[in-house]
Amino acid sequence: MRIPTALRDAAALAVRELGVAASATALTTAALRATLEAVVMQAALDAHYEQHPQARPDLGDLAVAAAELDGHPLAVEPERLRRAAVEIVAKHPDASPDDVLLWAEARALSAA
Amino acid sequence: MSRIVVLDNEAVQALQNPAHPKHRRVVSLAQVVASRKRRAATVEVAVPTAVRVEAGWDRTSPEWVFPNRLRIADVPLDAVRASTAAAIRHRTEVSVADAHLGAVIQSTSAGQQITVVTSDLGDMRLVAGDRDITVVAI
Repeated sequence: MRIPTALRDAAALAVRELGVAASATALTTAALRATLEAVVMQAALDAHYEQHPQARPDLGDLAVAAAELDGHPLAVEPERLRRAAVEIVAKHPDASPDDVLLWAEARALSAA
Repeated sequence: MSRIVVLDNEAVQALQNPAHPKHRRVVSLAQVVASRKRRAATVEVAVPTAVRVEAGWDRTSPEWVFPNRLRIADVPLDAVRASTAAAIRHRTEVSVADAHLGAVIQSTSAGQQITVVTSDLGDMRLVAGDRDITVVAI
């Protein structure tokens, strides 16, 4: 596998200076594994959504799930997150669940 | 910081069955994990093998093809975890599967964050001992 020199050097630097992995090879392997796992998971989920459309989560569902996974304080306010998802998707149709969390958090702070 | 997401019996059953009332909720969690992996976050989903037994998850059965494809790792009940699980069960009187889940929590490395997806918050707090966990109640 050929890796661009600048990327290889950056990986070596990150290992040496930041200790992000035991070696540049370990760092590369972990990143490749994570990407492949994500691709395989997404393919399985997409196939499942095609077969069971009602199982496809909307942005509000995903924002709630993201908050719950992290133990985010807004996880206990799912309706606030769902409202934030509706608001943000009107202007940013490609918003992510983490964008929704950030938006909801900002709204909560400004309301306080 | 890495995170492990551990599933309990009901989370596994909800994931497997599209007609389960909590199916979409557990699928949402899997979708968030997939999206985060795509962004190179270190997050994995795991199931203790005793939980898999309790839920009836046979990896060779076509009924379980969807969960099988989601890269959910088995955590075996090895000798060390069996001893930990036995102590948890003796102390708390939870099921074998929940005791195994507790052993998985307690054997997780100190720097790793733990999320448990469960229908039984109380038992999870009991089996986690002094480990700090995030509980997703389904």
